[in-house]
Amino acid sequence: MKHEDSSWCCYQLSLYRSPTNRVGVCKQEMLQKKNAVLVDGVILNGPIMDSKAGEKFVEDACKIIMEEVVQKADDITEKVCEWQAPEKLKQILDLEMRDTGECDQKVLQLCRDVIKYSVKTNHPRFFNQLYAGIDYYSLVARFITEALNPSVYTYEVSPVFLLVEEAVIKKMIEFIGWEEGDGIFNPGGSVSNMYAMNLARYKFCPEIKEKGLSGLPRLVLFASEECHYSMKKAASFLGIGTENVYFIKTDERGKMIPEELEKQVQRARKEGSAPFLVCATAGTTVLGAFDPLDKIADICEKHGLWFHVDASWGGSALISRKHRRLLHGIHRADSVAWNPHKMLLAGIQCCALLVKDNTGLLKKCYSAEAAYLFQQDKFYNVSYDTGDKSIQCSRRPDAFKFWLMWKALGTVGLEERVNRALALARYLVEEIKKREGFQLLLEPEYANVCFWYIPPSLRKMEDGPEFWQKLHQVAPIIKERMMKKGSMMLGYQPHWGKVNFFRQVVISPQVSREDMDFLLDEIELLAKDL
Amino acid sequence: MAEPSGAGCSIPLDDPGLDIAAGEEFLQEVFQILLEEGVRKSTDVTQKVCDWKEPQELRELLDLELRSDGEGREQLLQRCRDVLRFSVRTGHPRFFNQLFSGLDHHALAGRFLTETLNTSPYTYEVAPVLVLMEEQVLAKLRELVGWSSGDGIFAPGGSISNMLAMNVARFRRFPESRSRGNWDLPRLGLFASQESHYSILKGAALLGIGTDNVHLVRTDKRGKMIPEELEKEIQRVKAEGSEPLFVCATSGTTVLGAFDPLNAIADICARHGLWLHVDAAWGGSALLSPQLRHLLAGIHRADSVTWNPHKLLMVGLQCSAFLLRDSSGLLQRCHGVGASYLFQRDKFYDVSLDTGDKSPQCGRRADGLKLWILWKAVGSRGLAQRVERAFSASRYLLEQVKRREGFQLVMEPEFINLCFWFIPPSLRGQESYPEFWDKLGKVAPAIKERMIRRGSMMVGYQPHGSHVNFFRHIITNPAVTRHDLDFFLDEIQELGWDL
Repeated sequence: MKHEDSSWCCYQLSLYRSPTNRVGVCKQEMLQKKNAVLVDGVILNGPIMDSKAGEKFVEDACKIIMEEVVQKADDITEKVCEWQAPEKLKQILDLEMRDTGECDQKVLQLCRDVIKYSVKTNHPRFFNQLYAGIDYYSLVARFITEALNPSVYTYEVSPVFLLVEEAVIKKMIEFIGWEEGDGIFNPGGSVSNMYAMNLARYKFCPEIKEKGLSGLPRLVLFASEECHYSMKKAASFLGIGTENVYFIKTDERGKMIPEELEKQVQRARKEGSAPFLVCATAGTTVLGAFDPLDKIADICEKHGLWFHVDASWGGSALISRKHRRLLHGIHRADSVAWNPHKMLLAGIQCCALLVKDNTGLLKKCYSAEAAYLFQQDKFYNVSYDTGDKSIQCSRRPDAFKFWLMWKALGTVGLEERVNRALALARYLVEEIKKREGFQLLLEPEYANVCFWYIPPSLRKMEDGPEFWQKLHQVAPIIKERMMKKGSMMLGYQPHWGKVNFFRQVVISPQVSREDMDFLLDEIELLAKDL
Repeated sequence: MAEPSGAGCSIPLDDPGLDIAAGEEFLQEVFQILLEEGVRKSTDVTQKVCDWKEPQELRELLDLELRSDGEGREQLLQRCRDVLRFSVRTGHPRFFNQLFSGLDHHALAGRFLTETLNTSPYTYEVAPVLVLMEEQVLAKLRELVGWSSGDGIFAPGGSISNMLAMNVARFRRFPESRSRGNWDLPRLGLFASQESHYSILKGAALLGIGTDNVHLVRTDKRGKMIPEELEKEIQRVKAEGSEPLFVCATSGTTVLGAFDPLNAIADICARHGLWLHVDAAWGGSALLSPQLRHLLAGIHRADSVTWNPHKLLMVGLQCSAFLLRDSSGLLQRCHGVGASYLFQRDKFYDVSLDTGDKSPQCGRRADGLKLWILWKAVGSRGLAQRVERAFSASRYLLEQVKRREGFQLVMEPEFINLCFWFIPPSLRGQESYPEFWDKLGKVAPAIKERMIRRGSMMVGYQPHGSHVNFFRHIITNPAVTRHDLDFFLDEIQELGWDL
């Protein structure tokens, strides 16, 4: 297909824009048309895309998405997953990318296959992660985002989305209890935590931005044993080092013990290292525990440490008047990570880092002032060009889906969502207590319900190492069976010496009491021969 | 139905807590609006590129406030229309403002699908299709780089991909620094050209290396790193007692579109044992074209590469691949912490497919799917054609700029970035006056303001080095025709005529 003529002589004047140019029209055909404009052997008159056919494709694909995903989302007779072993799935999917394209009918079939073999995270019986379900308003906003393809760095290219982000951040800050502040949406809670760590470090010693850490005292930060693993990831990424995250002991419900924190801060000081940050968790990943924020804030104040709260999971409880007491004291934090894509179903990803400072710390910490993007001689107020607060350059408008959802449901609707999820978790806890063979790991505070299922054969066994070793193998087997059957999905893990147990998480408002009963019945059924 | 459901709680739990039928109907309705206003009009040349409003005015128009009660269907539909109306149409054939533009329908369908599937490709368990697809797409991109094996991951943007490279380079040299930190490491030295992307500075700050330790190497008049200058800088930094670690070459610089001489740089890296990263976020897509891939000759010698298909291939934001030559699991060792609640070792399938621990993120978007769908639809050849078309269109524009009075090139371009000044009639022939450049520097912002207020098109400008503000024209969208390029120049002339 390559044309050897690369001279400029073949321009011919034509203002012809070809609206009916089909995909796949070969160049010979095009060349035979009058007035073809050729540069480097490429015809420039008409677009090489056929927008009519393209629009038709988008319509067809959306029809499939509606029928196969959206409309089936509330159908409990559908499978949660259509398990295939990796090798088999590779063959089914025909993953290979070739030189020539496929016709639209074939590509639509590929879309159907992608849907068929993907896990239905919006199914009422998907309990596997800290996200689940579907919110139609958020989904609408996400489709709009995709069609508009914006990047939120300058008002010039993203006027609507920058203002929306500002409004959403303002509202989230109000729920934290700050009068003012700053913030930014990030690709994930891990990244928000990383931002907070770097911000705390910048506040502690601004020169690190220019000079780096080499030759400085050892920086130390504190987080509970139950904190998210992103603390470790961030500490290594930022050059602080994973062993300089001091893990604080927790009580039997997974909450940081303030006295232990005090001890560790003292220890770090004695070692001659430089403590700079405490990260408390509001809603731990596995147990759903909330650290005692008020007491931790006291210690941070006393020692002059930055106080970050990772409320990625638990932050949404702030919306509920009934449950916001779980985060009592959060207004004393310097920064908060909060992911509306979890409990509030805003869709992956929707994660905010909120900062109490309003002196522009975020900007000072992160900015690099690229002249090609953040020109200072623009004709509007360039303080709206907020992209330089981010470590990213292009960035998605993740606040928008949360905004539209909030507009649709109102604070009251969001609150109902949180209350309902926690009521369902409560219901499940009561059922677990009633049923033989189910044993709670601990009385939950939040939506995480952690429990063992003890199959009949183990019920008579004496408590001892052999019992626990056998019990350890039960959850993985049940999980394998539920996935192969496709009936539901929930997570399991070992945890601090505790053998494998299930962690049930309720999020989606599509889940009803019947699904909770089903969950327990199904575990019994899958494990009856174990 | 009426029996109490929760333990002592009054919330009815027997039925779903949302109106599914109404939700689906709303989705269908918005979809029709979206197709008309978002897809059809955003590619329609007769529509405005943007509908400019001052921030305060727009804030009022949008009624941004979030309230206690939800709103009705009609009002929500109007909100969707407003968002579509007042947003910039980046898919419009006359949006030349960024290194992304246009709208690809196949990729768009892939993106709708990604949104609807709503999952995170960290484990095979929750994202079997998307994990395998990501593996396949990364392998294909590596193949184009010239590697038969290797590793990689999708990251939320090229900036973060560049930071991953920096971190992996540090880890390979100082594996213990991952746990111990950097405080007892020697001062490290990072090298990138003066024309490199600002994410190298941001990365150095974030990683605790420090922006002072990024050494910006001089470039030639076309914006390409001068290898001899790199050698000199390395020697100088060594003499100061720092430890050179990492060289970032750029394939397709942001402003000028310059390609660093990779082979010569690779020789230097090999001699000093430095990690060679190639930031091909912008230029990487030229690898698809047999005609243009020579621009990246030597890229196979890199240790890592950043490549953003969301730019030239129009996949949609974001799609940024971080590619690694190493296939010994360096990425996993560098970033992995083995969270036992997510990456259980006793799963019933091959857990090497649970690739999420290679990333510093936890939840992550499935950015490979849209690229895969697009690739399936048009094939490598179709993608190559797109790259070549964009290049040829920029060549056409180049010739026109050379021919037209009042237009002056900043330099002869290598790639798609076309940088030029427009000299309004009042300034022509005054190049020798001292205030000429000052005055010229004010022209581009004035024209830009006018074009945005009119909504006719969008193109970027910037000052650069010692050059005063000039326009940078970028084409990525195959819907751009010669007519749009002629219009572009006519419009600048018209908007800047009286300046």
